Amino acid sequence: MKKLSLVEFSVNHPKLIVWIIVILTIIFMTQFPKVKIDTNPKNMLPKTSDVRVWNDEVEKTFGLYEDMIVVGISQENGVLNRETLGKIQRITEDILKLKGVATRDVNSFTTITNVTAEEDILKVAPLMTGVPKTDNEITVLKKMLFENPMFVDRIISKDGKTTAIYVPLEKGSNGKVIADNIREIVKKEKGIEKYYIAGDPVARDTFGAVMFKLMAIFAPIAMFVMLAVRYFMFRDLFLSITLMMDAMISIVWSMGLLIALGFPIHIMSSMAPVFLMAIATDSIHIFNEFYFRYKENKDKKRAIIDTMNAVGRPVRYTALATAAGFAVLLFMNIIPVKVFGGLIAFGAVILRILSFSFIPAMFTFVKEENIAKIAASEDIESGWSSKFLKKLAGFGIYKTKTTVIVGLVLFIISLIGISKIVVNNNMVEWFKKNSEVRSADTVMNQSLGGTSLGYVVGIANEDEYIKTPEAMRYIEGLQRHLEKLPIVGKTTSVVDYVKRMNRVLHNNDPKYDSVPETKEIIGQYLFLFSMSAKSSDLDNVVDFSFRKANIWVQLKTWNARTMEDVIKAVDEYKKTNPTPMEFKPSGPAYFNFIWNNEVLWDMVKGFIMALIVVLIILSFNFRSIKWAIVGYSPLLFTVILIYGVVGFVGKDFDMPISVLSCLSLGMAVDFAIHFIGRFKQRLAEIRNTEVRTKKPDEILIDSLLWTAKRPGKGIMRNAVLFGASFSVMIFAPLTPYITVGAFIVSMMMLSALMTIIYVPALIMLLRSWLFKDGVK
Amino acid sequence: MLRYLIVLLAMLLPLKVFAITAPGVIKKSQAVLLYSGKDFKARVSMKIIIKSGQERIRELTMLRKNYGDVSGDQKYFMYFFQPADVRNMTFMVYKYPTKDDDRWMFIPAINMTRRIAAQDNRSSFVGSDFTYEDISGRDIENDDHSIIKEENNCYVIKSAPKTGDMEYSYKLSWIDKTNFLPIKEEYYDKKNELYKVFTAEEIKDIKGFPTIVKRTMTNLHTGSRTEVAFTKVDYNIGIEDSLFSERFLKQPPKKWIE
Repeated sequence: MKKLSLVEFSVNHPKLIVWIIVILTIIFMTQFPKVKIDTNPKNMLPKTSDVRVWNDEVEKTFGLYEDMIVVGISQENGVLNRETLGKIQRITEDILKLKGVATRDVNSFTTITNVTAEEDILKVAPLMTGVPKTDNEITVLKKMLFENPMFVDRIISKDGKTTAIYVPLEKGSNGKVIADNIREIVKKEKGIEKYYIAGDPVARDTFGAVMFKLMAIFAPIAMFVMLAVRYFMFRDLFLSITLMMDAMISIVWSMGLLIALGFPIHIMSSMAPVFLMAIATDSIHIFNEFYFRYKENKDKKRAIIDTMNAVGRPVRYTALATAAGFAVLLFMNIIPVKVFGGLIAFGAVILRILSFSFIPAMFTFVKEENIAKIAASEDIESGWSSKFLKKLAGFGIYKTKTTVIVGLVLFIISLIGISKIVVNNNMVEWFKKNSEVRSADTVMNQSLGGTSLGYVVGIANEDEYIKTPEAMRYIEGLQRHLEKLPIVGKTTSVVDYVKRMNRVLHNNDPKYDSVPETKEIIGQYLFLFSMSAKSSDLDNVVDFSFRKANIWVQLKTWNARTMEDVIKAVDEYKKTNPTPMEFKPSGPAYFNFIWNNEVLWDMVKGFIMALIVVLIILSFNFRSIKWAIVGYSPLLFTVILIYGVVGFVGKDFDMPISVLSCLSLGMAVDFAIHFIGRFKQRLAEIRNTEVRTKKPDEILIDSLLWTAKRPGKGIMRNAVLFGASFSVMIFAPLTPYITVGAFIVSMMMLSALMTIIYVPALIMLLRSWLFKDGVK
Repeated sequence: MLRYLIVLLAMLLPLKVFAITAPGVIKKSQAVLLYSGKDFKARVSMKIIIKSGQERIRELTMLRKNYGDVSGDQKYFMYFFQPADVRNMTFMVYKYPTKDDDRWMFIPAINMTRRIAAQDNRSSFVGSDFTYEDISGRDIENDDHSIIKEENNCYVIKSAPKTGDMEYSYKLSWIDKTNFLPIKEEYYDKKNELYKVFTAEEIKDIKGFPTIVKRTMTNLHTGSRTEVAFTKVDYNIGIEDSLFSERFLKQPPKKWIE
């Protein structure tokens, strides 16, 4: 009863408690200016992780960049006209001047290397050195573009209506800032051309920027709605604000601690305030009970202490379950996941302490007449909500079998849905379909080879091997094989340059559009090419010692899983066509694939572990594994049902969903803990007083109905309160927020319903098993 | 009156310094760097070292003959030894100060000689960090030159291309006041950031001609650098005009290339 003494102390010294908390809050607040923000999801994997080390190595070997923006320019009558070409030239020129752009490797009409033979003179030069002045020059340009397979689908669409400028970014550049600059550049151009700015860095950095803005907008809105709903429920502004402050304090303390410890705020931890607000709503049970208690004995202090006596145990265990559920994440591999878990666990513990100190202390400041007024309206028999709750519970109690069978059917259907869930992440799809970022990506992927980029690196076991005709032919074959995949738009490798040289040196004879006969020829072609080309042209596709070759694979979607298909196709090809070369995937698309696996599966693992830990805590709470299972069922059912729907709707298990699954744990189990805890208390009370006059089943039913009406009201209030606040998020411009909103609303409603219908139903159904050794 | 005279004299004094003009210094520097002697021969070994530490070797014999005065026509003949698979490849350039170069390349593996278009003098020379221009010089008239300061016995000259289509916005050259060789050059990109640095590490006097025998070009953007060493340097050796022909491109005479 140590906690009770804290309650008593708080009730007796309310001002002192409030002052201590205010001072502590100010101390934590002083840490806020030191905040560091890291919106790059890439940093969810440490720099030392295998994939980042390997990708860095590949980038170094081939002089590549982590990030690339693709600027699309389209004109419905074709881009090959003087005006549009002039625009392409001006825009490219301006992009080259942007800070953060890897100027030397920007590829556009005016910078991309073209190999041609004109009147016997071999020319390796940028495709378009100046805007064509005559129609004839345009025809020549058109011919050069379409006869060179390295250009089609890369810088010109097959229909000639779209071109692209590939803008690689220097390390550490912000994709959104550069995308915004490019938007400014294209804005200057008048005319009917349409411009599209696409690519992973645009989506990622735009998301990062928008996310923080949204957090700053939606967290306060949610809070305000919550306050309004609370006021509507309790008709006391002071107490409504108190409840609010409870959440605020825990947010300030935990975020303050996070900042003080020097952790940057990642995408995940930025969601912590919302989570803590969710968890804080648990204190509504204290309020709920308090009014009932006050009505019973009219003594404020007494009512507070009685309330804490009654709800103390469930409040403590819900906090414990939540904290433990999140603390499990501390054992995961991904650092931001760990930080997130620790952060919420800490916040949950703080909330629990506040429930036993701050809240009781604040109760003492409320005027008695105010409480009396509201308490009068708290009647479990007459209120419409109580009647509704009674009906719900009654359904579970009297129609046990129907309820359970319906539940089982839903359960099985949901399992089928879950089996359809795909673990995938596609950041571009975090934007709405008609958003600039997403539609740009869609358009570009329809007309050109693809905005997503992966590499397949061929590694031989000796230097110079790549120059051999067999290596060349092998890579060529592999490229054709990969291009058969619908998601692969275009592939480019050193072989394309060699074939191009061969053909051009033989008077453009299509017969020579092939890999030459000997290593000498290949070596000399490449040397000849390198004499005039940009050095990056070759460096991007072969390493210095010609031991490694890099195949560029342009993908038409940012789905993390597409790279898996590429890897499979490579393995498949290798199986049927043996070679001394080894092939390894790399590049941004590969990173997304690994990120997807590591981060999301880490979350899945953490979630499953948390489920187990929560079950263990429940059995401690109820001191019975049987009761734990009953209490666990609403949680499990809610989770399964929601994921069943996720599976059927075809929504991927992506990052926002994975984070939310943890929240469902923390919340859904709370209701059951309250319900069962209070039910058992009630049952014991009734047995002590009325046991002789009633049959055991009647006592059971009475207790269940009472629980549904009284603590059940708290549960319903909690669910409505939270659901209302977060339904606001459904109007957010980014899909993850819509997901969060919809998820939280449905989760709260479902778990409340599950608790009020299924816990009574299960108790009725299993009563002989549950009460075999008497009520504990 | 005397006071005014002194002031006037003092004002005239710096004019003596002004007699040394920036274009004059550059011209003199090019003469020493690129036009020394009637002809010139060297075994050039280039080591291209990229960021990852990987190296690539280019080894060639370079022959040059002047036609006319300083900044007049020149002919270059190059024979490649390294890398191994380009051995016997030869490269010939007729350089004209006022118009585009003529270039030929012999590709032994397919026994073919090809004219190569000389479009961009700023493109890389055989995949190194040097450009064609760095090897054979840039027309003085193409830039605005100005002396911005003098330090360590060097003129520091800023050369800004007159046309905007260059990948650099200006270049700073430290030109030694005694031998007029560039000791250091810094290239600034269009964002006015330093990105390329040339340094002369070793200068030798050969037949009375000061010659840079060790030089390095470092590209700060790509993190790569190219180290060039000249050996077997010689001047005024009497290279015949006939060497610079398609015939000898296919079968270079041993006495000149070894």
